[in-house]
Amino acid sequence: MFPLRAIINACVALRIHPNILTFVGVLINVAAAVALATNRFILAGVIMIVANIFDFIDGKVAVLLGAVSKFGGFWDSVNDRFSDIALFIGLIYLYSHLGRTDYVMVASLAMMFSIMTSYARARAESLIAKCKVGFMERPERIVLFMIGAFTNRMAAVLWVILVLSIFTVADRVIHTYRELRQDAREALA
Amino acid sequence: MKRSPATLPARILWNAFFWTYERASWQYDVMVIAILAFVWLVPPDWLKDPTAHGSGPVGWILDRLR
Repeated sequence: MFPLRAIINACVALRIHPNILTFVGVLINVAAAVALATNRFILAGVIMIVANIFDFIDGKVAVLLGAVSKFGGFWDSVNDRFSDIALFIGLIYLYSHLGRTDYVMVASLAMMFSIMTSYARARAESLIAKCKVGFMERPERIVLFMIGAFTNRMAAVLWVILVLSIFTVADRVIHTYRELRQDAREALA
Repeated sequence: MKRSPATLPARILWNAFFWTYERASWQYDVMVIAILAFVWLVPPDWLKDPTAHGSGPVGWILDRLR
């Protein structure tokens, strides 16, 4: 895609380190969270698109600059969590400001289970080879956030994220249990 | 082994719950359609949406049918 290629080429020409691009993406997501907190959903959606451009290009720039590193992957994951939490906090602030404790709880639980999906996979993959099960991963979450922001259907989006994140965490726990049990059986045989 | 047709809904539910499909699969497309239908068709009033109001497309159709 031309605009993205132009941005990537500009970053490579300026030799901008991919880890800086990752961090800039988080800062832009914080701006999106502020827009969500102040009930400006369309603006938040636009800012989220810009933030995710940074999230998309950092890996490509790293490859082109020959700056791919294990730390870069780790930094990217940590910053992704900050971005996710920032967006949820924006919504929690908004619902709190509107006096809607019910949706403060929905958003808080959705945030908790969204973080747990990532944690469950990271911890599982320290024990087993792969734990890529469950529907609700970060790309799905981000696209849903944008749909909710652009079409003003954030409540429905939060319910979807909450329910499917609970399922995803459960999937990962069950999958890890099965894999470890299988390993234990093979070790005994 | 032949499976009983009665187990089909249970298997569909289990596969939807214990999700192992790739993004470029038809099952993923069906899930996306179901999610978008929920997000866009369920009236915001049913969910007591703090920022959106109205009955949405489903409410509009139900109003016309009354």
